[in-house]
Amino acid sequence: MRDYIKLENSLIKAYREKEKPQGSEQLEMSVMQHIRSLGALSFKTSPFELFGQFGWRFAPAVCVVIALLTFWIVKLDFVPEDELAKFSIEQPIEANYVEIPGL
Amino acid sequence: MPGLSLEMPTHTAIVDDYDVVRRVIAGEINAFGVLVRKYQGHVLSVVGNHIPYNQAEEVAHDVFVKAYQSLLTFKFKGGFKQWLSAIAVRTCYDFWRKEYRSRETPMSCYSEEEQNIVKRALATQCMQATFQENSRKEASELLNKALDRLSPEDRMVLELVYLEALSIKEAAGLLGWSIANVKIRLFRSRKKLRKILKDFLED
Repeated sequence: MRDYIKLENSLIKAYREKEKPQGSEQLEMSVMQHIRSLGALSFKTSPFELFGQFGWRFAPAVCVVIALLTFWIVKLDFVPEDELAKFSIEQPIEANYVEIPGL
Repeated sequence: MPGLSLEMPTHTAIVDDYDVVRRVIAGEINAFGVLVRKYQGHVLSVVGNHIPYNQAEEVAHDVFVKAYQSLLTFKFKGGFKQWLSAIAVRTCYDFWRKEYRSRETPMSCYSEEEQNIVKRALATQCMQATFQENSRKEASELLNKALDRLSPEDRMVLELVYLEALSIKEAAGLLGWSIANVKIRLFRSRKKLRKILKDFLED
């Protein structure tokens, strides 16, 4: 354990004292050359980016609307199976596979 | 704190940076050179902590290019230096993710070279003195070899909090992670590093 602590401390020390590169004019020149090739910044953003930036802000409102619609549909007393059965009983000749789905 | 100093810059410095950023956004591309000149030392210092010496300049270049491309997202709230530091740390993280993916074989056993480094380190009774006098480079190499065995996430969090002594909050801000995530990662990565170093010692 003592060996381990010594080793660990030495490694931390070595990490903190390791040689780091210095700034140079060459770095500045290469960065600026690259940036000039990219051109000026533009505010144009893709629709996906716009959605990422603003779309999520409407998420709570969308959730509320979905909840209200669900509540309204439940209260509406509309059961598709019942309506379909009713339609086929009332008009048995017209109720075929083409008409039922509304084709 | 070595390299990554996060102390707040003065108000004048912030305002100056804001002015330069506004000029660049307005289309004055060459004004970005002022920021490159002013912060290249800082960026190289941050990058130099995480990236091998011979690749640090290339990564620093990428940091500035990314900063330029993201300049429109700069909020003019905090300092430009802090914002740039976060980009630098995340670029280093991306570097290790790429390296990790391109690694062909997992390093499951210790190479002869690694074992020799540990043997040399343990050969004298006082390891610390050995490292200080003539083998600091070797210690750094050994640490890199140990860090190479960790995932990029573990590596970054360990370097920032454990080796650079940043607070968990600061590391979370730089990496863009939650504080809880950094805490969990740190706990696991320290455990992994301890195991790796102990294996080095035992071999």
